[in-house]
Amino acid sequence: MLRYLTKRVIMSLAIIYIVLTLSFFMIRLMPGNPMAALESQLRMQGGLTDQEIQQRVAAIYGVVPNDPILTQYKDYLLNILHGDLGVPITNPGTTVTAIIAEALPWTILIVAVSLIISFIIGVAIGSAMATFQDSIFTKVMTFVVSFLSAVPSYLVAIMLLYVLTATYRAFPAGGAYGVDVTPGPNLAYILSVLYHAVLPIVASVITSFGGWALAMKGSAVSVLGSEYVRAAESRGLSDRVISRSYVGRNSMLPMITQLALSIGFMFGGSVFVETYFQYPGIGYYMIQSVNQRDYSLMMGCFLLITVSVVITNLLVDLLYPLVDPRIVNPAARKKAEATQDGSEDVQALPVGGTVA
Amino acid sequence: MRFLSDLWRILRNDKGALVGGFIVLFYCLLAIFGPILVHVSNDQDANNAYLPPSWNHPLGTDALGQGVLSQIIVGARPIMIVGVLAAIITIFVGVLLGLLSGYAGGLTDSVIMRITDVFLTVPGLPLIIVLAAVIHTTNPFVLACVLSITAWAGLARAIRSQALSLRSSDFVEAARLQGVSIGNMVGRQLLPNVGPYVAIHFLLAITGAIYAEVGLFLLGVAPISGTNWGIMINLAMSQGALYTTDSAFYLFSPMAAIVILQVAFVFFSRALDSVFNPRLRVQ
Repeated sequence: MLRYLTKRVIMSLAIIYIVLTLSFFMIRLMPGNPMAALESQLRMQGGLTDQEIQQRVAAIYGVVPNDPILTQYKDYLLNILHGDLGVPITNPGTTVTAIIAEALPWTILIVAVSLIISFIIGVAIGSAMATFQDSIFTKVMTFVVSFLSAVPSYLVAIMLLYVLTATYRAFPAGGAYGVDVTPGPNLAYILSVLYHAVLPIVASVITSFGGWALAMKGSAVSVLGSEYVRAAESRGLSDRVISRSYVGRNSMLPMITQLALSIGFMFGGSVFVETYFQYPGIGYYMIQSVNQRDYSLMMGCFLLITVSVVITNLLVDLLYPLVDPRIVNPAARKKAEATQDGSEDVQALPVGGTVA
Repeated sequence: MRFLSDLWRILRNDKGALVGGFIVLFYCLLAIFGPILVHVSNDQDANNAYLPPSWNHPLGTDALGQGVLSQIIVGARPIMIVGVLAAIITIFVGVLLGLLSGYAGGLTDSVIMRITDVFLTVPGLPLIIVLAAVIHTTNPFVLACVLSITAWAGLARAIRSQALSLRSSDFVEAARLQGVSIGNMVGRQLLPNVGPYVAIHFLLAITGAIYAEVGLFLLGVAPISGTNWGIMINLAMSQGALYTTDSAFYLFSPMAAIVILQVAFVFFSRALDSVFNPRLRVQ
């Protein structure tokens, strides 16, 4: 158990470190080098000595551009360890960390709620499709579900905006809560938060529950055809016992793996949804900063999205042994991984698309 | 030939997949020949802005008085080219690393799989947005590389597990005893056996790339120049198409073009799946 835990934790830390390093070098070595651009922009404005320019850039990016690259790298990592992500170019009065700290809860709210809702709807529909395979329900649902999982979430967002916000004004056009409520644990505020979250959540659920349904159907169908289910049937166990203890639990295993994989995708997809519904989450700020060429804020948002995804993945990994006890026993784990790899190949795609 | 007759039989029984296949074919032809047959003229005439559909402009006109339909036709090529390029890169990297990792085993396998794990975990779309924002390119090949930056990882994983099971099979054992080269082993022995899976993944990779590509133009992260569906939606939105019914055709035509193409790809790939996996046909 301890080995399994340490392995996962080390892997997560390694990924975070790699992404930090990547973002550091990307900002400096890429064709559009934003740091150099800022320097020359300040130089163009004139009236500043070289040292002042260096200081301005250092204030925003947290490192001195004239330093050797390794010193910059060390400063950058130390800053981030202290929670200092620099200062947004467009709003020097605040810090990137402050903006992100305010935005992250909204993104997590949208992503978590829509993930849970679409998972539950998808699993329910998928199991029903596997149980009644030749029914009209399954034929219709197969079509509906394949159709919806192929429609990009941003187009659904535009449709919802067009119909429900612009034409009928049934839902607000932006924000996380109304201007007329005071944030805090009061009913008006909570209702306002829910009201503002409805459209972003609905847009994500519409486009993602279909993927879950198809995955669940595939998983349940392959379990239904397995030997131990047939053995249970021939022992005369009731349908209820079979569907709960045999089919249900075993077809959920690959679904949990996919749950972990799809978290990253949901975070990505929420960028579109947040931007269109002007919902002040991390994705919204990320796109704002891209459009305003505010690279320190952009990289801060990207880092935080990545860290959130890595941490949620780690949590799913740590909860996994509760669902599949074989995982913590090394010998059984090898076997489980081998069989899982074999059975997973048909549906190894993360739910929702290939850009997970 | 066996493959084609199988495919035709499946398509005949599955109307959705048949229609999907024809639509994909139609879009390919559109991307190849569209820009040759139709041109988006440069003369802008505000008097013709937001015309309703007519014989001259079957889908109406945009804010500059240019026909929406001709823009849709011309806009097909850039979308398809980048989508297909990105899918080719995804498939190439994924299959190569997957086969190498599964076949070579040992240290090579561990190293490749750890790298794959990293790319599987890093959220793809945010990474694509950041890269596209910093590079800010109009070059279709570079854009395709950006779009496939994490997409190959899932494929590499799946191909590796197939290669692992192939490695212990009789014919690979026989080839190894004959001492064939690693190039022969990967290209001649392993590749043909993962081919079907790769073909399906290729179609899905195109839809994934188109999803992200159009998204980049919609968000304004990729440079807005030229004509493609994402740029059309972006312009329509920024000209306030949500709040007026005048520009409905300008906004919804490119959206429809994208949805129809994506759905067609998914339905067609399902038919390919049942050609290659006879197991699925019984169920």
